[in-house]
Formats: sequence, C-alpha cells, structure tokens
Amino acid sequence: MNDFLRQADRIPVTLVVAIAYVTLFVLANLSVAPEQLPARLDEFGVLTPLNVAEGDAWRLIAAAFLHANMLHIGLNTWALLALGPGIETELGSLRFALLYLVSAIGGHIAVCLVYAPYQGVLGGSGALFGILGAVFALNMRHGRHLFAFLQDEGNRRMIWFTVAYLIAGIWLPVSNTGHIGGLLAGFALTFCWLAPGREPTRNVRRYRIALTALFCSLCFVSLSPAARWDQLWNRSIADESPYGKARRRAATMHYRGIPSADEQDVREFATSEVFR
Amino acid sequence: MPADGSDSSAPPIPAPPTEPAVKLPTWRAALQTLPLAAIWIATIAPLLLWLLARQDPELAVRIKQVTTTAAIRGGLGLALVASVGALLFPPVPAWVRLMFERLRLSFASDRGPLLKALAELEHFASAARHLEVGRLALTRSELPLAAEHLHRAVELDPSIAGAHHQFGILLRRLGHLQQAAVAFQNAEHLDPGHAFGAALLELGRCALLAGDERAAAEILERHRKEHGGSKQSHYWLGKARAAIGEHDSAIAAMKYAAEPTKQRLTPEENWFRALARVWLWRGGRR
Repeated sequence: MNDFLRQADRIPVTLVVAIAYVTLFVLANLSVAPEQLPARLDEFGVLTPLNVAEGDAWRLIAAAFLHANMLHIGLNTWALLALGPGIETELGSLRFALLYLVSAIGGHIAVCLVYAPYQGVLGGSGALFGILGAVFALNMRHGRHLFAFLQDEGNRRMIWFTVAYLIAGIWLPVSNTGHIGGLLAGFALTFCWLAPGREPTRNVRRYRIALTALFCSLCFVSLSPAARWDQLWNRSIADESPYGKARRRAATMHYRGIPSADEQDVREFATSEVFR
Repeated sequence: MPADGSDSSAPPIPAPPTEPAVKLPTWRAALQTLPLAAIWIATIAPLLLWLLARQDPELAVRIKQVTTTAAIRGGLGLALVASVGALLFPPVPAWVRLMFERLRLSFASDRGPLLKALAELEHFASAARHLEVGRLALTRSELPLAAEHLHRAVELDPSIAGAHHQFGILLRRLGHLQQAAVAFQNAEHLDPGHAFGAALLELGRCALLAGDERAAAEILERHRKEHGGSKQSHYWLGKARAAIGEHDSAIAAMKYAAEPTKQRLTPEENWFRALARVWLWRGGRR
C-alpha cells in the first residue's frame, strides 16, 4: 500500500479512472430502489447498440466507467490497479489515457456490431482487456524477437489466464465480444503506435493507415448502422407503425425474454418476408 | 607448388554464378499483402453497405446476409476440402508442422542482428561481413538483400565455402537450379563434406530437380556413404533411383526414409519421412 501511495503522482490516470469507477457507482446507486437501478444506469450511460445508433455516441466511452454491482466494480478496480500502474509508468500518462479510451471504444464498437440492438453492456472490462493487449504488445516489442516473451513462464501463464477467462466468459454473464474488441484495439494501438519498435518501417505505416481507416469506418457504422436487419427492423417500426414506441418496448422485452402482449406482433414482424 | 601455396594440380573453381534477379513469386507477394487487403475490405465494405442502404435497405440487408452465408459456407467448404485433401494426401499433418515451423522461424528471427551486421559492413567491407549480412537476410527471407550480399561475398573471396553454400541455397530458393548446382559444387570443392554434407545433399537435390537423375543418384549415394544420409537424402535418393529404373534400390532407400525413429525428427525431416511413406504406400508412383 505504501508503495502504491508513493508512486501515486506517477499514475494519475489510473487513479482518476479508479476514482471515476467508485464515484459513478456511488452516484448511480445512491437512494435508488433496486428495481429502478436499470433505468438509473441507463441515464448514466449503459450502452446498447440501438442507443448508439440513435446518436448517443457518448455512451461508447461512458459505459466503460459504469458498473452494475459490488462484485463487478470490485473485480474491475482490482484489475485496473493491478495492470494500470505498470503500463502507465511504461507508456506515460497521456498515452495510457489514450489506450484506455481507444480500448473502451474498440470493445463497445464490437458490441454494437455483434449484439442485438436492445442488449446492454456496461463496465470497464473491455478497456481493461485493452490494457492486457497492450501488455502483450509491449512484451512482443521488448523481446529479442517478437515471440521471445513466450520463453518466460509468467508471460505464458498470463496468456493462458486470458484464454481461460475468454472461454469461461462463454458461460459467465460477461461480454466476451467487448473483451475481445478491447483486447484487439489495445493490442493494435500499442503495437503499431505506442511501441512501434526500433524502426517504424513502411509496412508499419501502411498498417497504421489501414487500422485508422478501419477504426473510423467501424465507429461510423456503429453510429449509423446500415445493413443489420434488426436496425432496419427497428427503423421500420419507428417510421411505419403508429404504435412505434409500444412496439419498441415490446421488442425490448422480447429481447430480454419477458413475455408481453405485443410479443406475437414482434415475432410476426421479425419473421416477415422483408427480413428473410 | 606456386609461391602462394595453392595446389596447382587441383581443378580450378568454376566461376561463381552471376547475381540473380530476385522476383518474389506472385502468390507469395499476394500472401504478404493479404492481411492489409483484409483490413481495407473490412473498412470499405460497411461503408458501401451504408451507402447502398440509403437507396435500397432491403438489398443491403440481402447482400449482407448472402455474403455472411457465403463466408460461413465457404469456410466450412474449405475445411471439408482440407479434410478430403488430408485423406487423399496423408502428409498433410507433416506439411502443417513444417509450415508452422517456417512461420515461427520467420517471426522469431529478429532484424536486430541483420541491422548490426549491415552497420558493421559500413565501417569495413569484407567478404566475411557480406556473408554474415547475406546469411541473416536469407534466414529472414529478405531475398533481394541476401542476393546482393551473398554475391558480393562470393565475388570478393571465392575461397569461402560457406559463401558458395549460402549463395546456392538462395539460388535454389529462387528456382535457378543450374546456377545453384554450380554454387554447391564450388562449396563441396573448396571444403569436401562442407556443413556435414549439406552442400552435397543440396547438390544432389538440385541435380534431381534439374532432371539429371543419374548424376543425382551418384551424388546422393556418395552422400549416404560419407555422411550416413538422412530422411531427406534417402527420399531424394529413392526418387533418383526410381527415375533411372532401379526400382528395388529405390524402395530400399524409401523404406529407410520412412522408418520411424526413436528421437523426435525435425519438421523438415518429418516432412520427407511422410513423403516417403506415401510414396511406398502408392507403390512407387508419384
């Protein structure tokens, strides 16, 4: 603990993020009945692909600071304080902040592209996986060659831990999509930009341009989804039906597995000829 | 004997081959640009779909669904083809191991030593230093750089057997079999049994691939007698003997190549063992 406090001035971003986790958690939970918590969290920035598609781009970042319960925030804060200081000291505070934000956005873009429109996610784990990706990238860059870090038992264990966690994520109530998105974003950012090696060759520059374009394109598609039947479905509901809002509510309940009076309508619409 | 101490009775070293024009095969160049191309396709496709959706949302949805279905079916189809291929051509696992090893080596070879060798070359150029740069570049598959420096090494000091050997490997990889054979011949001439017989083996292999089966059989037989032979050399020997009609001795060589060993084989040796097993299994046909 003493060591941690002594180096506090060198890891401001890690501390700010940890404080933001706790503050937002307290504010979101303050004087709220348990049944009202989902609505409160939605106000604070829970991310659903539909919200992002409707223009709430801020949720791409805000959701990375929100947590649902004590276990969630406890584990994520522990992971942040375990991984963050080392990487922040290595990369520098500004770069670490950039890494956190880009990883968070990367994870949430993956969620927007893969998840159903009403399925919500929250939590900093996508960004934390981005930091883990940065650890892998730094290890690869710092070795005698790219895979020299595999000779170290600790590094191998870290990879196995990550793989095991991703596999366990199939059954656990966590967003593996967000984790993988964050991991890839953090890895790519660190590998190509933050620690580009001794000689940023022409090839690295080509990859930088291509990856930037990909990131921008996927951001754009998350904000303006085009070819996802569910988004078009929702748009059709909103545009064409006089009961658009009611049907959207019904669709939300349908996605959450709650039977509703309008479920039959939703099912009929989803299986109609237009969307086959 | 002349004043410089050289043996005048020894045959002169044949002139080293000229510097080859290095041109990567099209498939290899395409393979190198594949990840970049995939990123650009993943970048552009959603934007195109978005533009299309503004005109005709249903068509955009249909295109997306058809593409996704085609990609899934294509992947499954490829897996099926690979499985059938493995059944028809059993050395597939050995080939996968060999490819994986080459991939690992290409990733695991740092450019640092090569840059260091290049920097040292700037201070003082010598045949040995050119050879070092060429060898490191060859390890990293940087063929144009390797060609330049290995040729220079051979030119500066034609008496280094290692330079001829490395230059031969480069020429063989580029498909210049005749020139590669000359380079290996030089290496063997300068240092008989060079690199534990590797030059002799390469020489036999080049002769076989160039269509001179009789010479190949002789060279590989010599390699077997002098160096004991390996799975690879017995495989090539078997092929050469089969090509000149000595079927029984070809089968004997292939049987040796296909024999299991107690120690774990290298991926390359394992690959030639697998090829020999298939050759025997098919009764000596290709």
